[in-house]
Amino acid sequence: MADEKEQPQEASAAELLAQTHGGKPTIAIKVYAPFKVYYEGDGYSISAVNDIGPFDILPKHHNFLCMLVPCNLVIESPEGQKIIKISRALMHVKANRVVVFVDV
Amino acid sequence: MRRPLEIKAEEAAARSVVSLTSALESISSMQIAKTKNKVLISNQFFDEVWNIYKQIRVDVMFNYGRAVDETPFNKELLILITAKGGLSGDIDNRLIRKFMERYDETKNDVLVIGHHGTTKLKQSHVDYNYYFDLPEHDYINVDPLMDIMKKYAKSRIFYQNYISLSQQEIKEVDLSDVVSSKGRAVDLSTVGDDMVTEKTYIFEPNSYAVAAYLENSILRLTISQFIYDSRLAQVASRFKAMSAAKERSITNVTELHTEYNRAKRNQVDTRLKESMSGLKKLRAGGEA
Repeated sequence: MADEKEQPQEASAAELLAQTHGGKPTIAIKVYAPFKVYYEGDGYSISAVNDIGPFDILPKHHNFLCMLVPCNLVIESPEGQKIIKISRALMHVKANRVVVFVDV
Repeated sequence: MRRPLEIKAEEAAARSVVSLTSALESISSMQIAKTKNKVLISNQFFDEVWNIYKQIRVDVMFNYGRAVDETPFNKELLILITAKGGLSGDIDNRLIRKFMERYDETKNDVLVIGHHGTTKLKQSHVDYNYYFDLPEHDYINVDPLMDIMKKYAKSRIFYQNYISLSQQEIKEVDLSDVVSSKGRAVDLSTVGDDMVTEKTYIFEPNSYAVAAYLENSILRLTISQFIYDSRLAQVASRFKAMSAAKERSITNVTELHTEYNRAKRNQVDTRLKESMSGLKKLRAGGEA
């Protein structure tokens, strides 16, 4: 009997190309509050601080959910480093996309 | 019949009312566009957070972020979101009427947001326990409100909902119901790979702490969204009231102008009659 279970598809070349910049892998990042988008675009990494301590999120990170403590979010993007000061936020990482919900 | 000068003065006053209502109508129209746009932007944010909350929810009993050993007051807190001041049409009156249907002094405490609500409650001889100004800025800090809510077993919110420019409705919801229903995944089999569990996610510091934080966040966002909705409904109601007032004042000006013309004509006719009668008398005297 043929195995009807779908095999996980590998990322297409176009998808891989879309998730790199100058050959370096990137991750989609969005940092926003109800009325303000602080950053939206691709980045090489995003660094923040939670109860456990400082940490970095790199491309292809595992699904991740955490509360952030007051800190400076540091985004390394193709355009340079961006620093966003936050007081209260929630970080959600899934499918090579990081969303930081500020002021929640 | 009134004197033309008197009518003319009244017409001038009515024209001022037309200008005033027209200006207020324009301001309300601009505020609607601005507020509506903000509500749409914020809804996108809220939806995304709610979507995560829906997938992570671990406890069906919503408890307002209270610790397990905290015992709340055995009363229901009624929260009213009203306008900052007058000139907001009949929307606050409708809200107070709906609130009065539910209010029982022995079972409820009252929290009012917006100064107009306190005035309306005083007129209805109801004492309120807490008061907050209606927030005007984009960022709303609802933490002081949440601290009060945590003391109560139940909380019910009365707010104004924008349907269209000509239609706004009053809504009342149990806050625990609305937050629980938003957090409840309707059918777990449909959640599939989106389910946020310890198997599929890394939580820091742990899943319970994140779920508890999200519960508080959702409550905070829900209240903020009700306030945004109410603000939009209030400016729409003001626009409607100002449009109606402008129409009425234009009709009033037209009627006063007609009355002025009649009075003026009447005055001219009277003077003419008096002149004719004087002339007749003069002629009659000359012939004699």
